Amino acid sequence: MINLITSIVRHRTALVGLILLSLVVAVAIAAPLIVPYPEDAQTFHIERRLLPPSSEALFGTDRMGGDIFSRVVLGARMTLLITATVVLSGVLIGVPIGLVAGYYNNGISLVLGGGAEILLAVPQIILAIAITQSLGPSIGSVILALSVTYWPFWARIVFTETRSMCHETFVESAIALGVSAWRVIFLHILPNIASSIVVRTTTAIGTTAFASATLGFLGLGPPPPSPEWGRMIAESRDYLPDAWWYALAPGLALLLTVLGCTLFGDGLRDILDPKTRRRG
Amino acid sequence: MNVVSMVVNRLVWFVPTVLGLLAVVFVLARIVPTDPAVLAAGENATAEQVQEARERLALDRPLPEQFVEYLRQVVQGDLGTSFYTQQPIVDDLTERLPATLELTILGVLAAGLIGVPLGVISGLNRNSWLDHLLRLVSVLFIGVAPFWIAMQLQLLFSMQLGWLPLSGRIDDFAPEAMTGFLTIDALVAGDLQNFLSALRHIVLPTLTLALPGAAVIVRFTRTSVVEAVNSPSVAYQTAMGLPRRVIVWKYILRLALNSTVTQLGLVFGISLTGAVVIEAVFEWPGLGTYAVRSILHSDYNAVMGVTLCVGVLFALSNLLVDLLQMAIDPRGAT
Repeated sequence: MINLITSIVRHRTALVGLILLSLVVAVAIAAPLIVPYPEDAQTFHIERRLLPPSSEALFGTDRMGGDIFSRVVLGARMTLLITATVVLSGVLIGVPIGLVAGYYNNGISLVLGGGAEILLAVPQIILAIAITQSLGPSIGSVILALSVTYWPFWARIVFTETRSMCHETFVESAIALGVSAWRVIFLHILPNIASSIVVRTTTAIGTTAFASATLGFLGLGPPPPSPEWGRMIAESRDYLPDAWWYALAPGLALLLTVLGCTLFGDGLRDILDPKTRRRG
Repeated sequence: MNVVSMVVNRLVWFVPTVLGLLAVVFVLARIVPTDPAVLAAGENATAEQVQEARERLALDRPLPEQFVEYLRQVVQGDLGTSFYTQQPIVDDLTERLPATLELTILGVLAAGLIGVPLGVISGLNRNSWLDHLLRLVSVLFIGVAPFWIAMQLQLLFSMQLGWLPLSGRIDDFAPEAMTGFLTIDALVAGDLQNFLSALRHIVLPTLTLALPGAAVIVRFTRTSVVEAVNSPSVAYQTAMGLPRRVIVWKYILRLALNSTVTQLGLVFGISLTGAVVIEAVFEWPGLGTYAVRSILHSDYNAVMGVTLCVGVLFALSNLLVDLLQMAIDPRGAT
């Protein structure tokens, strides 16, 4: 663990990514304390609508007179809530399915693995659009749609790694010694593939934040006046080119989040995967 | 496993994939909050008409039977009628598909033309300032939302500089449809004005689509070039005293760019779904704009039609990529 922390600090890419990611999470948690206008997520101030950036509103105001900076920071909580729930359920569904499908070689594993492959053969965002459209736009449908469509990513990577682990001598000898299947899977295989799962999860946080903003942009996210980044960007289109500042803050916030995850994920892969480490 | 059986295996997998997609769309169509029979019968339908629609659509029978009925309809090319356009959805889709394909194909070509050379330069000059710059820029473009780039490009090039049109596909009437790709149709018709107009309209959407794709290709190409540079065969050629130029062109690029075809295929899939989202920004009259409009009008059948169409295209492109990969490098496939 201490080794891992020192490697992250030494690895510039990973460190920058981790700092960005922690910043977004910290801002999301502390949101109501740090924003100048915490009530602007819900209330309107028509008298100060569409004002350009100033010392009072750092990133300007929107069509309802809300302070865009406050709304973007408050929106980070929504993005974080959606992303955390989706990623957690992706891990909880995908990892066990991948382990079982990879360890056993029978009908069940064919059905589980095949199901994951089928879902992966269809573009995720398109499926998510169809699901949210059917359920009606809300934060719950976004979470459900993305959880249903994203777990196969974990299932596939865990499946592949488990399959190759089954041919390792230490796993074969554990099986030969009569160790139970569950013990082999959870005590021998899982710890050895954990690093791949961690790397996959880091990148998935970025992908999920992206996907949820895309759904919001298409009008399928939480309904207005929720300060959802994608929806804010979509709203700004009606006020271009005059309100050039409108989409700036939500776009940058999304960029920083995804960037943090990509950099941290890249760095972690370098650190945890000895094959790429040598290449540098 | 030999190549033939691998190819057959891939082709066989395509069937359950499409069936799975159909099943998902079928289930979704059954959980929509409105009764499909009421929708099909129309707004002012009487109770008898709704009942008649229910029987016609087989909605009164058990689910598995309904699914079989649904499959039969899809095979016959019947995806229902859109309430918004009042046309069969299949017609709506075939009308709009060429616009989306034109954009996607150009986007992938542009991504390849930008991404491959920059990736090679980055990989050959590893850890130089240029390499660091290219890596930074490509990570930035992977992180930035395409619909956001689209709006910033519109703001700069159309609204402020006025160099390129804001939205749409062409200024005048479209040339006589042959391929449905306006740029090609206008060229075939010898209509230079229309060709330039179509070209000017497609620049911004193509760029929006190409930038993230190019970023993915830069990163991928860089990795394979670095791998090739460090490979034993290149070390051997260097030790033999071959000129650097020959080594780069004959050995490094050949080794590194083997899998670029696969990468371009994967980018095609990403771009196809990307196009669906950014089309709405440019009011590009393809599947994406149609999907977004259908979402706004709660036109469920149309949304399911787009899902099905894009899903099948995506699965097809994946299939082609796999087959191409086997043709190029029969060792890798399993």
